[in-house]
Amino acid sequence: MSFLNTLIPNLNGSRTEAAPERRPRHQIREDEAGYTLTVYLPGVTKEGLEITDENGDLTITGKGTAKLPEGLSVLHRESSDAAFRLVIAHDNTIDAEKIGAELKDGVLQLTLAKTESAKPRKVAVS
Amino acid sequence: MRYIQFIQPNGRSASVARLGGRFGSDGFQNEVSWLVGSARDQFPVDLYEDKENTYVRAELPGVTREGIAVEIIDGSLSIAATRTQKTGAGEETEKLSRLVSIPDEVQADKVTAAYENGILTVTLPRKEEIKPKKINVSVN
Repeated sequence: MSFLNTLIPNLNGSRTEAAPERRPRHQIREDEAGYTLTVYLPGVTKEGLEITDENGDLTITGKGTAKLPEGLSVLHRESSDAAFRLVIAHDNTIDAEKIGAELKDGVLQLTLAKTESAKPRKVAVS
Repeated sequence: MRYIQFIQPNGRSASVARLGGRFGSDGFQNEVSWLVGSARDQFPVDLYEDKENTYVRAELPGVTREGIAVEIIDGSLSIAATRTQKTGAGEETEKLSRLVSIPDEVQADKVTAAYENGILTVTLPRKEEIKPKKINVSVN
């Protein structure tokens, strides 16, 4: 971890205390059909990313960004090499079979469809 | 999201070598911003070097390539970008910018930039050092 990150824990919007893993910056938006989860993962490729859904927890983990080429020396560092982990508890209100994932320009976008039982229902009054 | 552009009046004389050991308890406001512009609400920047070049690596996930502006102003590197996100019906645009003091004189006309996987890498070739001139002093 860089010196700067210990000085300013929130520098890149994630918690970078002594923890070996960091929590990437993310946003969740909800609409009637489901949720859109946007995770900012600069430098991360498809190969360095793992998404699992188990027991009502959606987990996104991966390795940090690629190592520097040899022969380069660091003058100033704010980014982190630490592995990342993001756990979203959804309590099985989303359909695990319908999770869509797209990674583009360091942004992971997950579309999570609500299960039928989690969708709002109108109750007709007789 | 706030949009801050912080330009240190003496930015051009900033030297990376002075970074170490000079952070105070309010280090953010003085030394850090002095070196690389205001850091809060902005994107992380790394500085590397090898024999020929200085490299600035900026984490800018999800910005539009066309909207990335890289400029050399008065010995500093200015990086500006925009990120547009869909928010249901509308769109939300986030403006990001940062001013980075460059430690060495660069060949401004040979600066290149590449954007891959959300990371902008700017390569700044260093000016060739002027060879030391030998001056003969005649002593009477």
